[in-house]
Amino acid sequence: MTRYFKVQIVFFFRLIIGIIFIYASIDKISHPAEFAIAIGNYHAVPFGLENMIAMVLPWLELLVGVCLIAGIMVDGAAIMCIVMNIVFIFAISQALARGISIECGCFTVSAETGENIGLQTILRDIGYLIMSFVILYRNEKRLEFFPKPV
Amino acid sequence: MDIRTPIGQSVFMILFSCIVGFGSNLFRSNSIPWIAPKLEISDSISLENETNEPVLTAISLTLAKKLFDDGVLFIDARDDAYFVAGHVKSALKNAFLMELIFTIEATQNKHAPVVVYCGDPGCGDSEDLAYDLQDSGFTKLYVFKGGWLEWSKAGYPSEVGK
Repeated sequence: MTRYFKVQIVFFFRLIIGIIFIYASIDKISHPAEFAIAIGNYHAVPFGLENMIAMVLPWLELLVGVCLIAGIMVDGAAIMCIVMNIVFIFAISQALARGISIECGCFTVSAETGENIGLQTILRDIGYLIMSFVILYRNEKRLEFFPKPV
Repeated sequence: MDIRTPIGQSVFMILFSCIVGFGSNLFRSNSIPWIAPKLEISDSISLENETNEPVLTAISLTLAKKLFDDGVLFIDARDDAYFVAGHVKSALKNAFLMELIFTIEATQNKHAPVVVYCGDPGCGDSEDLAYDLQDSGFTKLYVFKGGWLEWSKAGYPSEVGK
């Protein structure tokens, strides 16, 4: 029963994180210039590299989200989730520590609908981080299609 | 690269996203440059902007001196030791952004012009601080790119100590 429950939890977390990452990627893919400005507002990226990050990061979020839901390369997707969430937590924390109040740029990049960063943003990302670790350190690989579980 | 290992999968995902991201940027109508453009140095500005629309412009030495003569507030973005060794006369300095904002607001409102400078044309601290101030609601920000190097070389008014 416990084993069955664990499998359900892992699949539930995969769905949750997958949907969140896909949702987060769509507006950023549609508006790369606005997303680049949102990244620039954190003042954590040197040499004007925010544009290159704005081109790549949303597609990475989309790919990770699709892989988690579809059960393809779940280990790699979970690792990428962990890395991205650690980077997000670091970026938000340094901005808060410097006392700057900016749009998060987490899910939408338009100023009208965007949310400001705050402690709640960090706590939310920590929640995603914990879910990602649960996925990575799962005991059983159910509903996964590539690579085939042995 | 073995795509069956977790690290191999992660590398594959990054490479795939780079190819799709950079590739799609080439063909989309709202494409962006690979590197974000830096501030262009302006030789003329208008302080008569009454709309309070945010302005963030890089300015030359000549323009910085003109603004200094007009009594515009200067902010030093360098570390304390450099500030103590010498800075633009009457310039403000505070390592803590919120304290700096309170100090500025004690003398003027957020829509009054402010000049920010750092060590030399290569340093990025003045630009970073200017963006921080813009995020905090300041609307007329001028980044003096030449910084303390050009100012002190020109022999313009300066002082030492805190």
